[in-house]
Amino acid sequence: MTQTSNAILLVGESGVGKTHYGAQLLRRLMGVTGALRMKGAASNLEPFEAALESLDEGRAAGHTPRSVNVDSVWPVISPDGREADLIWPEYGGEQIKSVIESRRLPDAWQKRIDEADAWLLLIRLEQTSVGDDMFSKPLTGLKGVSAENREVHPSDQARLVELLQMLIFSHGSTSKSHRLPRLGVLLTCWDEGGIAQTPSEALKARLPLVSAFVRSNWRQPLIMGLSALERPLSPTARDMEYASKGPEHFGYVVEEDGTKSSDLTLPIHHLLGAGI
Amino acid sequence: MEKCARATCFVPDTGCDLGHTDLSKCPIWHGARVADAADHDVAGEMLMPWSGSAFGLADLGFISGRAKPIVIGVVGPQNAGKTTLLAAWYLLLGRGLADTEGRLFAGSYTLSGWEAVAGSMRWAPGQPPRFPAHTTSRGGRAPGLLHLSFDDKSADRSVDYLFTDAPGEWFQRWAINTNSDEGAGARWVSGNADAFMIVADREALAGGAMGAARGALQRIAKRLGAERDGRPVALVWTKSDVDIPPEMEEAVRGVVMEMMPDAVEHSVSVVGETDGDPLLSKGAGLVELLQWAIDVRRPGLRLPPPTSTSDDPLFIYGTRKR
Repeated sequence: MTQTSNAILLVGESGVGKTHYGAQLLRRLMGVTGALRMKGAASNLEPFEAALESLDEGRAAGHTPRSVNVDSVWPVISPDGREADLIWPEYGGEQIKSVIESRRLPDAWQKRIDEADAWLLLIRLEQTSVGDDMFSKPLTGLKGVSAENREVHPSDQARLVELLQMLIFSHGSTSKSHRLPRLGVLLTCWDEGGIAQTPSEALKARLPLVSAFVRSNWRQPLIMGLSALERPLSPTARDMEYASKGPEHFGYVVEEDGTKSSDLTLPIHHLLGAGI
Repeated sequence: MEKCARATCFVPDTGCDLGHTDLSKCPIWHGARVADAADHDVAGEMLMPWSGSAFGLADLGFISGRAKPIVIGVVGPQNAGKTTLLAAWYLLLGRGLADTEGRLFAGSYTLSGWEAVAGSMRWAPGQPPRFPAHTTSRGGRAPGLLHLSFDDKSADRSVDYLFTDAPGEWFQRWAINTNSDEGAGARWVSGNADAFMIVADREALAGGAMGAARGALQRIAKRLGAERDGRPVALVWTKSDVDIPPEMEEAVRGVVMEMMPDAVEHSVSVVGETDGDPLLSKGAGLVELLQWAIDVRRPGLRLPPPTSTSDDPLFIYGTRKR
């Protein structure tokens, strides 16, 4: 039996549900039914304390403040006895936003990128849009009208592609390994979309540019769907069913072929598959 | 904070030109004021070496490191729709409608530049889309270069493309006098492009100043024909939904084909067929033109086959002829 350190870098802008997934995953790891379970105890559960408590009460967890920047180490083991250390960073999603805007990668992030064996990118499709342009919604009488200088907001797709390019560049310039880490894309809040497709089809339909970028840069990207809570929760009003049954009975992942599974550890299990 | 001594390095605005992620290790920057660098919050942060805006000549080193990118020169008089053509491609890529055969979008280091030209063609709250603003003619010596990278599944690598976004005035000056000062940027395009798209604006050719438009276009075609030196050329009719007199079309086509008999013709428009799902509307001819552009290959060098008595590759060279 070999002990391997397998770090997963979790990347996601604010509001995609990083903390909810972390808290729900933690609970599943503490159970015994999943593809992975916790061996021993996590080094530091502080970042998830509040989220675990809120979910117990059937309420949504609060927003993670921007200043939070904690790596917590979870030793995990699979049923056939293989072990790994899962390094789960918890941070305010605005950090990602400022990284993209300023094109500066702080020290802590370079280290994370360098050490990670797999990257898990969380995207909430409902938060992103391609938007209408003159192809999808032409305007008659448009001829000859050209724009004055107006402020341009980068599209969501351009932002995500730029983020991945920055990760690739940083990995290429600091890491000793020439192989890119594996990439997993998790489409969070799957319950919002109501799209009965496989996750990779959903990504291709909603964010074609990102989908093309991912498929051309990684040979076998893992694309899965996730609904960490299974239904929307309010931060104030409690969900009675949640409070009485317990949050561990809620949430599901959508596998690459479109089948649902209640085992939230599957994306991690698949990503670690090569190393564990 | 002081600037770097290298002319092509723009620290602290972008990352180090020489690739040092830790600035204190850069021999050139070291010569600058080190204490200053440590004071500044740049220490410990990695700055990306691209700014996202359209490339200038100084940025080319970053992109041409792995292989010389393929440069597509977009040539034409002002207001012909050169920038609109580029913006339309970017929008189609973003919609997943530019289904170029076997080639997947693999990244771009000028995303902000693309967003800037395409942004005006999007619907923003309270603002209808417009055509991109006029590309201003500064006294530049090189055009803005927009970068796209496409994956080539057959070769298992990605190929870089640079599309020139230059003001039409440059080409008009260059057509009149190839050595003119204002035409320096056009001269760069003519000297460095691997393929050209000569853009003919049907609207201008049907409008009030049709004679002047025809003249300008014919002059540009003649100049390009004299300087292209066998490189591939496409004659692109933009705003193809506009009807022009057949004699006018013939006059332009005649000059282009006389100078460049192997030129291919494309008609494009952002206005496509209106029936069907509006989300699938991709204008007319744009995807086919993009396919043409990314299929451009630099002519390779063909070595003569070695004369050898052996078929074994190991002994092809060096065997003695009897």
